[in-house]
Amino acid sequence: MVEDDAVIREATQLTLERHGYDVTTAEDGLEAIERFEKIQPDVVMLDIMLPGLDGISVCRRIREASTVPIVMVSARGDALDVVLGLEAGADDYVTKPFDTQVLVARLRAVMRRAVSDPERPAPATGSGVESFGDLELDREALEVRRSGQTVQLTPTELKLLIEFANNPGVVLSRSTLLQRVWDYEWGGDGRLVDVHLQRLRTKIGADRIETVRGFGYKLRA
Amino acid sequence: MGLRGKLGLIFLLVSALAILVLCVAVYTQAQSARLDRTRSFADERIQLAAQSYDTNDVPVFGAKLDDPDLPPQLRDAVLEGNRATFKTGSPHAKMWAAVAVKDGKILSIEQDYETSDDSMKALQRALLLGGIGTVALVALVSVILAGSLSKRIVAVAGTARRIAAGDLDASAAEAVGKGKDEVQSLATALDTMASSLRGQLEAERRFTADVAHDLRTPVTGLTTAAELLPPGRPSELVRDRAKVLRRLVEDLLEIARFDSGVEQADLELVGLGAFVGSAVGRLRMQQALAPDDVIVHQLGTDETVSTDSRRIERILANLIVNGLRHGKPPVEVTVSGRTVEVVDHGNGYPEELIAEGPRRFRSGMAERGVGHGLGLTIAAGHAKVLGADLTFGAAPGGGALARLVLPAEPETHL
Repeated sequence: MVEDDAVIREATQLTLERHGYDVTTAEDGLEAIERFEKIQPDVVMLDIMLPGLDGISVCRRIREASTVPIVMVSARGDALDVVLGLEAGADDYVTKPFDTQVLVARLRAVMRRAVSDPERPAPATGSGVESFGDLELDREALEVRRSGQTVQLTPTELKLLIEFANNPGVVLSRSTLLQRVWDYEWGGDGRLVDVHLQRLRTKIGADRIETVRGFGYKLRA
Repeated sequence: MGLRGKLGLIFLLVSALAILVLCVAVYTQAQSARLDRTRSFADERIQLAAQSYDTNDVPVFGAKLDDPDLPPQLRDAVLEGNRATFKTGSPHAKMWAAVAVKDGKILSIEQDYETSDDSMKALQRALLLGGIGTVALVALVSVILAGSLSKRIVAVAGTARRIAAGDLDASAAEAVGKGKDEVQSLATALDTMASSLRGQLEAERRFTADVAHDLRTPVTGLTTAAELLPPGRPSELVRDRAKVLRRLVEDLLEIARFDSGVEQADLELVGLGAFVGSAVGRLRMQQALAPDDVIVHQLGTDETVSTDSRRIERILANLIVNGLRHGKPPVEVTVSGRTVEVVDHGNGYPEELIAEGPRRFRSGMAERGVGHGLGLTIAAGHAKVLGADLTFGAAPGGGALARLVLPAEPETHL
């Protein structure tokens, strides 16, 4: 957990420890990167406004080497922060002042995506390898290949792609995707979907996922 | 009557009066000059006639001796040895000239004097035509000038109305064009007023944003720490107040976001009636409401609209919570086509709110209890982002009525 305010840092650490997490904290960006490399955490909670190296740069730096789930803590009221954070590779965000229940729920949701989901049965058909044009999705190995080359996807991107693969040719609305991929029962920010789709498109080919204006998105076979 | 008509009429009357006075003066002057000419002509003739009579004893040029028709005033005047002329009255005016000659006789000449001969008639005509022409020209020019004046004043009024409607960037000085007159100075004064209003509004916005931003970090620390307190009533009280404080800061931040103009609608197709029903259901759960606190009615068929459902839900929640908190249950939500009405059974919104719309920190409504007035401000902000019309009024039964009308479907995205 990277947070520059001492009270928030300590109180959040105590709260998360009560929920059973092992928490390592950092006060600024440089310390964050140092600690990250040392302990390789399961999830990163990252404040955007940090002294020195800001949260967005830290996020970008972590993403260069890792697909670890990242939850940004954005200052509510700073619209640009959210988009920048998501574009830098964050999986989700909470806004300050946050409700600890909401924070814990968000952390849980991103971590659930990161480990293979035992609740979802592998598709009964074939070897579990499906192809969409030049794109191959191996559900058992959780691997994605484009023209034979392995594509590195973050858990959120992978889950997003699987959601489309489960419904080929079906238009999925933003709220459906927020519900199924991000575990928002209700609400959620449509920009989460938009930014992640942009990132997914740059990795699997821009025209693989089609925008249906006013409705949502669909996967092109 | 408008300014243009009034000014036109005033110019018309003044110029007509001036022309009339001028005509009368010119005409009188012409008349008296003519009279002088006739008089001196008659005088010359009587002198010649008198000389001729002195030498020849015969009256010439139609002169008569002791004319019985001679006016008595003239006779009296010449008896003293003078030479005199006299004009007798109208309508058949005559010019007389008389002089006393030898043997106590009076030689006199009489000639017709028409008050208006051809030349005077021509003068009259010329004056009349010139006068009417001038008055017409003055009227035309004044209407045109007054028209441009009134157009500029109307432009100032239009700008003032735009400013009142919230467009504080409207410039009256631009609307009236260049010039250095009273209209221009009125426009400049209006612009100065608008810019001072803009400054105040800007200060209010900045204050909201600054307060909210500065409170964000301590309040986050406080609420997070409050969650860690050991169970018990005192901890409960602290947690509850911390939560209220957090909501207040969240509301302020939300308003600051509207002010900064970064909010955008995230459009999706939703069945409005069905959506309102499920949103009210979620609100009931969240706020632990009794089932009959909020009643939803659907009139006609459910219409599918392209809108940002999160914002609709926020608007609805704020309106319903406001109705429950400041009015009386049940709050009735009626969906009809693209319109959603929220009506409570309390004493209604204060008139100030109905007239001016919601303002932050101005709940100021004794009859509706205390509140910080942010909920309705936020609802109005979301409605604006949706391009929807949110109006506040009074329900027939006296309760508060809020009406949300979603904009007509743009046909572009299908």
